Amino acid sequence: MLSALDKKIVNTISRDIPLAREPFKVLSQKIGISQSALLDKVRSYKKSGIMRKLSASINHRKAGFKYNAMVAWNISSERIDAAAEVMVSLPEVTHCYRRKKAPDWRYNLYAMIHGATKKACLRVVDKISRKTGDKDYRVLFSLEEYKKSGARYFER
Amino acid sequence: MSRSPNGMKNISALERRILNRIQEDLPFTPRPWRDMADELGIEEDSLLKSVAILKKKGIVRRISAVFDPRKIGSVSTLVAARVAPGNIHGAVKKINSYGEVTHNYRRAAEYNIWFTLIADNRKKITRIIDEIKGDKNIDKMTEFPAEKLYKIAVKFKA
Repeated sequence: MLSALDKKIVNTISRDIPLAREPFKVLSQKIGISQSALLDKVRSYKKSGIMRKLSASINHRKAGFKYNAMVAWNISSERIDAAAEVMVSLPEVTHCYRRKKAPDWRYNLYAMIHGATKKACLRVVDKISRKTGDKDYRVLFSLEEYKKSGARYFER
Repeated sequence: MSRSPNGMKNISALERRILNRIQEDLPFTPRPWRDMADELGIEEDSLLKSVAILKKKGIVRRISAVFDPRKIGSVSTLVAARVAPGNIHGAVKKINSYGEVTHNYRRAAEYNIWFTLIADNRKKITRIIDEIKGDKNIDKMTEFPAEKLYKIAVKFKA
């Protein structure tokens, strides 16, 4: 489990970090530890895998990827891992999860696809469908973005 | 200005290289921008300036750490809601009022509002879902918790 200090660090570095020459120094002063102690922590988080990355988040719409489709597939549990393997091999697929079904929603595998055009997204869906042979799916393009923020991990 | 494969026309070739680089980890060093600038063959200050401009243009949302929720003891989930067209404004206002809601989109399906939640424990997630469910603007709500993560790799080639 994370210590109180770890939680403080996680909270601090998961917010937009200052655009300064020595950002870790600024952050370490905020946290109340030395810069080298903070850098050691950051390296250890990366090494243990608890931190996925410390990098820029891009507004994909403004970066030319105007369309995002959440594609929900209904795939039998015996074949779901193989189908997911096909999906994750494609660079256009940024997220892929198996999720619980619901009585009125029979889909259990979700792939997020980003593209410059609707057509480009649909081409990827078609490619997946041809490769896996699965045809029971729904393409849910996002029509409006209401929120896209960084996670706040340990706030009350 | 050069043209990128995905149609981003308003950025320079240098900005494109910077965008591709800053979506990877910052060097975990005392002068990360200087070290990254060295990699790119530019000056630290010009890199900082370019990143500031990319932020101002809204292309870069933020520079921050992203953690694996499960590995730090947090819980995340996906929730879908059915909302009548006239009630979307009210429903979104309610949903977005929670800091634990990180993404929220309208999508074309019978479930037309899709949002993600992250909190430090399951109890909190359940409480928030129940509270949102009680909002009069929402006809039906279903949670689709993840059972397996196959991929998460958000990087956009500029």
